[in-house]
Amino acid sequence: MPSLDQWFERSSRALAQRSSRRSLLAGLGQALMGAALLPLLPIDRAGRAEAAEGKKAQPAVNDPGSCDYWKYCAVDGFLCSCCGGTSASCPPGTTPSPITWIGTCHNPGDGRDYIVSYNDCCGKTSCGNCECNRNEREKPTYRPSRNNDLNWCMANADSNYHCSVSVLLGVAEK
Amino acid sequence: MRFSSLLFVTAVCIAGLARAADVPPPLPPEHLKVEPLPPPGPHWVYVFDDAFYVETDDRVYLYDGDTHRYLGQIDAGYYAGFNLSPDGKTTAISTTYFSRGSRGTRTDVVELHDNATLTPLREIVLPNKRAMTLPSMFNVAYSQDGHFLYVSYITPAASFGVLDPEHAKVLGEIDTAGCVAVIPSGPNRVSSICESGRLLTVTLDAAGKESSRAMSDAFFDADKDPVFVQGIPMEGGYTFLSFLGAVHEVNFTGAAPSFAPPWSLVSAAEKGHWRPGGTQVGAIHRGLHRLYVPMHVGVEGSHKEGGTEIWVFDTVTHRRVARWPAGPQGSIVALQVTQDAAPVLFVTTDKSSLAVLDALTGQVRHVEKHFSQTPWMMLTP
Repeated sequence: MPSLDQWFERSSRALAQRSSRRSLLAGLGQALMGAALLPLLPIDRAGRAEAAEGKKAQPAVNDPGSCDYWKYCAVDGFLCSCCGGTSASCPPGTTPSPITWIGTCHNPGDGRDYIVSYNDCCGKTSCGNCECNRNEREKPTYRPSRNNDLNWCMANADSNYHCSVSVLLGVAEK
Repeated sequence: MRFSSLLFVTAVCIAGLARAADVPPPLPPEHLKVEPLPPPGPHWVYVFDDAFYVETDDRVYLYDGDTHRYLGQIDAGYYAGFNLSPDGKTTAISTTYFSRGSRGTRTDVVELHDNATLTPLREIVLPNKRAMTLPSMFNVAYSQDGHFLYVSYITPAASFGVLDPEHAKVLGEIDTAGCVAVIPSGPNRVSSICESGRLLTVTLDAAGKESSRAMSDAFFDADKDPVFVQGIPMEGGYTFLSFLGAVHEVNFTGAAPSFAPPWSLVSAAEKGHWRPGGTQVGAIHRGLHRLYVPMHVGVEGSHKEGGTEIWVFDTVTHRRVARWPAGPQGSIVALQVTQDAAPVLFVTTDKSSLAVLDALTGQVRHVEKHFSQTPWMMLTP
């Protein structure tokens, strides 16, 4: 009889493509091995890419086009940087959400924690590019100020969700 | 004509006649009709597809786990909530439409669909306050007797609407002081989950107006170990799982909710590593006392990761009775079990597959690949 194991192994190759899975594996490496070696892997890959392409590539943790970008530590949605905007600006023709929720992300580049405002960009249907599902310190809807499941376009005149940005508000006080 | 030629022509004619005799009669004309739904089967499942990549196009699929047939579809609008009536005859969809498709004037509405025909019966227009969030059983929910329908509102101020589904009317709105979700907790009671870890329970009068409210003791700590809002129906109430695998059983048969001592899905050694996760984090077979949970090895923030294994527990002894591996990179985002004596476990994945399993053995009976876009929740009547 086919086991669940066999069934999933057949489709496992495609599953590995999700960025959030890579983030999880990096976190798992730290948690289970007690060492921060796995986060170095994207940097190593970037180095090889640079040599191959003859231009300077960015490690994923510093790449706003990657779900592994440090500022996206609690984004659940489509990255506006893949939709005509940037990590901190909405795509043309959309409208930023005036209300949002606030998270904290660690920047490995300078060792600081930053307060991040996770606004949604609204008024068009789903962008559909660069789905990113990371949930560090995210809480369920009974704590809405820390929740990324809610459609934060809810109070916009056009409340259709398009994509998400991560806007730095400042350094988090220790 | 020589004799040999005559013989040849005769043979060809005979062969031709034989072939003509073999040709079947033409197919009869077909008459276009609408396929009726068959009588409900014991292993039907309603699969909610959020259609996240084109989210104004949510839908609910009806699927037969015995015949492995796709039976039909109910349209669900934008980032919808859905639920079934207590008698299973009606699907309630709480949703939003924009007057120009993806933009324009917003209309929030609850639509009631006939599950015998998959056609809309009637609708109830809401104030534009509907909670637009991940599916759970508590975005829209019937009272236990089906008399009221409740809809969760988040603007982000939290409240809920009380509706009369029979007469398609909004009866009122009740403020919940920041607590969210509509959990049917009695014939005329609604409970909501609060950030403090307590349950707010509002009792309604016959007209759907608030007659009293009460706050429970805290049963979880939102800072240390929050519970998923995706409660799992159990005998007499709902089970809530925490991010770290604590099992909180809440009984709603009394005048106020009561909380059983929590127990754990994980051993001391597993705690913090193995975790429940996904968009529908558990299912319970109430008669067999079986709890099914998608589990993964994770860290803080991995609570939406799907399961690499299904863990099966006895809800009486609290012992794990089976682990069904889903492969090293499998991701089970939702599961649901039928309540009969030969139950079927339905499983969906983040690759949009739907699997039909024997809920007693874990044997995979059938797999539908690319069944939908983002199948995040399932219900069985």
